[in-house]
Amino acid sequence: MQRITRREFVKRTAVTGAAFTSIPAILAACGTGTSTSNKPSKLTVAAVQGAEDGPLKKVGPMYTAKTGITIEIVEFPYDTLFSKLVTTFQANGSSYDLCMMDDPWMPKFGTMGALQPLDSNFGFTRDSDIPSIVYDVGTWPPPSGPVPPTEQSKAKHLYGITIVGNVEMFMYRKDLATAAPTSWDDVKANAARFNKANFYGYVIRGKATNPASSDSLPILWSFGGDVFDTNWKVKLDSTESIDAITFLTKTLKQYAEPSADNIDAADRDRLIAIGQAFQSTTWPAEVTGVVEAQGSSQVIGKMAYIPIPQGPSGKGIGMMGNWLLGIPKGSHNGSAAADFIKWMLQADNMKTYVQNGGIPTRTSLLNDATLGQTNPYFPALAKSLAAPPNWRPRTDQWNAVETIYGTAVNQAIAGLKTPKDAMMSAAAQIRTTMQGAGYPS
Amino acid sequence: MSRLVAELPAPTDERPVRVGRRRRGRQERLAYLILLPALGTVFVIVTIPFIVVLIQSVTADDGSFLGLRNFTRALANPLFYEALRATGVYALIVLPSEIVLGLGFALLVHRTVRRAGLRATLYVLAVLPLVVPPVAIGVVARLIYAPGYGVLNIILERLGLIHQEIQWLSNPTLAMLSVASVDVWQWTPFVYLVLFAGLQTVPRESVEAAQVDGAGWWTQFRYIELFYLRPLFLLILFFRLADVLRVFDHVYILTGGGPGTTTQLLSLYLYRTEFKFFDTGQAAALAVVVLVSISILYSLITRVLPLERA
Repeated sequence: MQRITRREFVKRTAVTGAAFTSIPAILAACGTGTSTSNKPSKLTVAAVQGAEDGPLKKVGPMYTAKTGITIEIVEFPYDTLFSKLVTTFQANGSSYDLCMMDDPWMPKFGTMGALQPLDSNFGFTRDSDIPSIVYDVGTWPPPSGPVPPTEQSKAKHLYGITIVGNVEMFMYRKDLATAAPTSWDDVKANAARFNKANFYGYVIRGKATNPASSDSLPILWSFGGDVFDTNWKVKLDSTESIDAITFLTKTLKQYAEPSADNIDAADRDRLIAIGQAFQSTTWPAEVTGVVEAQGSSQVIGKMAYIPIPQGPSGKGIGMMGNWLLGIPKGSHNGSAAADFIKWMLQADNMKTYVQNGGIPTRTSLLNDATLGQTNPYFPALAKSLAAPPNWRPRTDQWNAVETIYGTAVNQAIAGLKTPKDAMMSAAAQIRTTMQGAGYPS
Repeated sequence: MSRLVAELPAPTDERPVRVGRRRRGRQERLAYLILLPALGTVFVIVTIPFIVVLIQSVTADDGSFLGLRNFTRALANPLFYEALRATGVYALIVLPSEIVLGLGFALLVHRTVRRAGLRATLYVLAVLPLVVPPVAIGVVARLIYAPGYGVLNIILERLGLIHQEIQWLSNPTLAMLSVASVDVWQWTPFVYLVLFAGLQTVPRESVEAAQVDGAGWWTQFRYIELFYLRPLFLLILFFRLADVLRVFDHVYILTGGGPGTTTQLLSLYLYRTEFKFFDTGQAAALAVVVLVSISILYSLITRVLPLERA
């Protein structure tokens, strides 16, 4: 037997070790290659943690039983999901076959070209039972409203399908009020009437950035104000916008809970659920998760849900907060992912999804009396979707704009600035941001 | 000179010298080889990201060279100065509070607690806040200060000290004090542990000699113990200053930077610039500015508080 030196021994050991440790990676790579060409064994979904992805987790195993494809859901908190998706898309990573997206993210992902078109690639067409706005919100560039300058020459494609039909609505205590408020004047009158010690006439969700922004935009729109006009000119310093913010931060604040500038959705729901507040705006997930939740809420059956009341503009405009499913460009399993979305959209499967806590987009299901008994906000949601609601401005700068606007509204609620000063300052900052991004603000 | 030369042994054979050199060379190579994984790790997780940040700070998203334009934009933004001011106020509250409280506890335990068991218990209790995740601390702090159901207001009301809820997180001054109090709670034990360990190194004979000479507790501290603690203060300042610049979790959970931007510290502002505004160039420029500033600050601290004891 030939003797080997110590150095040779170490070298051979290292090579053998490296070969053995590489085997799983090689096998995995072979596995991926196989699933690209044929049916994959699993589809990985990047999802938002919370009420929005709960029903998806429940129907996943049903799809597995039918097709043999495992639906693996990787959950992230809201902010983390967004940054995770952006970095994955920047690297054209193939970690996810499907991704859940909040609708304001669509401009960012659309501009990045991060998603696979569902219509041209996988044959998706519009279903008459699903409101047009649901498809429009997943289309890029947007089919209506201002289009970002860099996107105007792009062809429109469908990139996302709504799986959580979210629209911001209004809720009030129907056991106390004789009639539903039809206007913001009625809201104010009810707030004044029912406000008393330890019972607030109105709840403001005023925490800085996203919460304050989401809570105030329906009021802003209903008063005829807006963040931008149709040519991307900033409108926050218009009379209508200032009036709307003054109404929220001065008029309604008189009847609102203390520390409204530090209140987020969970705090609002708590106040409503323990019977300490009369009315507020709300999202469907808040209704099912807290306000109508058996065992924790004291106001079950006492709340009514209606579309956003009308403002001086003559309109009551709700805000979309749909969650969509899209297929990242980097996914190797696009076709299988598209099949899953199609399966989710089928009426029977969507009904099962609703029975597991999901929020539908099909009008027939939203108007289904049986489903309406367990989901009392469904008729209001159907009306809100048909209205139609507004989406947040379709610009990839929305996160920056929302941060500036939501901070300004928070400053006005906290009394650090007058509503006018807050809006003037926000308008100036947003103009600078938008001009820096090539918009004609 | 010639005598010295004459006394030196004549070099008869060069072999041992060569062998020595060869052995030393082999040992050096081995040392480098052993160091390689650590140096490689530092290179991958520190040097490469730093170089990337430097490149990003002088380029646009498309990679084109911008010179110092990102720096100009970052420094021209009024929000940066608001964040800087908030961070300064935060540091001015937490650093002196933690050092004074930590020193007080360390002296108290050092001078009054003699039982080893009790000292060990205090040690464990002091370590606890340091190992709790900052997010969990933020959530607990929110339960303490939150409007409506905050435990602190409920206790104060039950004690009859207040009749109306104090808006801890809505008043700009109280909001800053509230977020700072969380930091003080979590990091005072760190100061205590470091200084307590330092006090154990003070020679017993010096203290006893001073006591024989009639030195009181203040004289004893001022002229003997403080002498031994000085380098540790530097260490504490180094660590805590770096931590103050990284504070994020509990501020984000408690106030989200509000009311307005009152508690928007530098780290929160940097996070928003990168992950909300997606302004990578400006965020990178800010990171470089912060890094340079902290380096200057550290060298100033080093000059004021010399590391050597003598």
